[in-house]
Amino acid sequence: MKKSISYILMATALLAASGLFSSCEKVSPQGVLMGNTSVDDRVKQSLVFYTFFDDKMDKELPDTMTQYSFLVGSDSHITFDPGRLEEMIDIGIAHDDLFFCHLGDLADTKPEYYANTSLGLGGCKIEWMDKYLEPFIDESHTAEMGYFIDRRTGFWGKGEEFTLPFYPVVGNHDITHNGWALFCDQFNTSFYEFTVKIGDNYDRFIFLDSANGTLGKYQIEALENNILGHDGKQIRHTFTFTHTNIFRPSLNEFASTYCREELYYILDKLADWRTAIAFWGHVHAWDDRKFGEVHITMPSMNFVDHPNGGDDLIVRVTVYKDDREPKVEPVGLYCKERSKEELEKWGYYVTTK
Amino acid sequence: MNHQSTFQRLTFLLLLVFSVGTAMAQYYNGEHTFDGENKNETSVSVTIGKNIITGPCIGNTVHYKHYFNDHWSVDGGANLQYTKGLYGFKAKGEYHLKIKKFHMFASGEYMFNHYHSYNTNENVGNLSVRFERGYWDITLGGSFIGYNMMGDHYTEPITLTFGAHAMLRPRTNKWNVGLLFRNYDDFYYENWNINWGLDFYYKFNPRWKMFGEFNIRPAGSMSQLASKYETTGKIGLIYRWK
Repeated sequence: MKKSISYILMATALLAASGLFSSCEKVSPQGVLMGNTSVDDRVKQSLVFYTFFDDKMDKELPDTMTQYSFLVGSDSHITFDPGRLEEMIDIGIAHDDLFFCHLGDLADTKPEYYANTSLGLGGCKIEWMDKYLEPFIDESHTAEMGYFIDRRTGFWGKGEEFTLPFYPVVGNHDITHNGWALFCDQFNTSFYEFTVKIGDNYDRFIFLDSANGTLGKYQIEALENNILGHDGKQIRHTFTFTHTNIFRPSLNEFASTYCREELYYILDKLADWRTAIAFWGHVHAWDDRKFGEVHITMPSMNFVDHPNGGDDLIVRVTVYKDDREPKVEPVGLYCKERSKEELEKWGYYVTTK
Repeated sequence: MNHQSTFQRLTFLLLLVFSVGTAMAQYYNGEHTFDGENKNETSVSVTIGKNIITGPCIGNTVHYKHYFNDHWSVDGGANLQYTKGLYGFKAKGEYHLKIKKFHMFASGEYMFNHYHSYNTNENVGNLSVRFERGYWDITLGGSFIGYNMMGDHYTEPITLTFGAHAMLRPRTNKWNVGLLFRNYDDFYYENWNINWGLDFYYKFNPRWKMFGEFNIRPAGSMSQLASKYETTGKIGLIYRWK
């Protein structure tokens, strides 16, 4: 009798837990257990964009530049306040970093959160344009025609052709609740590459979609077939960016990594590409190590205490025109909290419906 | 909306089946133990499937197990995955103890895998405890995984090993079909990548038994479950003798 009661209680508790689990929106099975898009579909879509914009993403720096730098952030999980993302871009603009990379889990997947992210990055774009663009005037272009030139990369065009040089990949939290539609609407692609030319050297930047914890069949085939071509350029440094991590930094780290064979495939691929630095996110923990010849580093913009102060951590990489190795430097974020009233004043959503 | 209600119904149903299965569990003598007569056991199996790295994959495994007595046994096995270029072997020692109506198995295992395509050697140690009753078993343990590649070595932090397995019929039955949920297989231990699938067996007589498994290996866990990494089917034979 006692035993039957305990079994009934156990079954009731399990049913109650599953009911709670199923009904709460934040932890709904659809949200927690399932991403709504497959990596294959995202890669196919990304490649359509990449085919048209491949050349436009490449950058050629003037001979006067002896070095350039870029910032890498990850796991910002923006909700009502995109402050930590704005802080990252502000830090970059103040330091004259050439571009910004993000390793995914950009915003939690609600339209309101993506709208806030878009608004925040829109403000950053204006700040960036004010600092780096100047009117483009030559024999055939007058100031009145409204053309601008980026004085660091030489790229010129109408104002609307410029985008903030912000290069994200998609993370697992970006693909739940139809998040890919929101991500794709703003950033178009999660599988692409570009090169930066400094002096006679080309550096290659490869962005991979691993939001599902796998590169997927289609992306692997694309990589094996060199679809992300670099047009025969002699590459000096290669940098790779993706969301899902290779190494679990600690015993109590429960975020999933790749299946074993894929993990070895990816590490082998990094070696093939002669990768200088590989950037990974996903685990909200700081990790920095060298494996073989590859420097592997893992920033996080979410609940990681910076070793030298700051609430969160991004990474700055400085790349030199001469043969010096790229320098990796952690940078702290302080994430100042803004009041609901202040956020509302700037047009951010402060509640969800 | 429809999608979500189907998922909820499925969750309820699975939990219900598991709870009822638990309540129905009966006393049994233990199937993974020495039967008092046959001290040797060998098995051979063929695995075919598809994964995202190699596409179609085929391989086979062989095992030999020796029972010293009702408590102690040793087990050795080899794995040859031809299309994956994966070759491995393992050795395992196990101690069996009956605690009231439970059978407890404590095991220690060493496994070596060579991933030929990536010139990678993997060494795995595992310590696990399995609790078994008539209709179900659960496994808990820890894996120690290290690998050598790219001229370097990495040892992963200890990884939790977990597995749950529930069956439709008692283990004493001639045939059975079961549901499995675990982060390991015969020749690999994963981190948080959770396998699930169906298995079955059919006993021809006390010496011959056929077994099989359909295994789905998703790419990750939680929201990363959406993509599969590998699906495989395995079928094999076990033979016991004195």
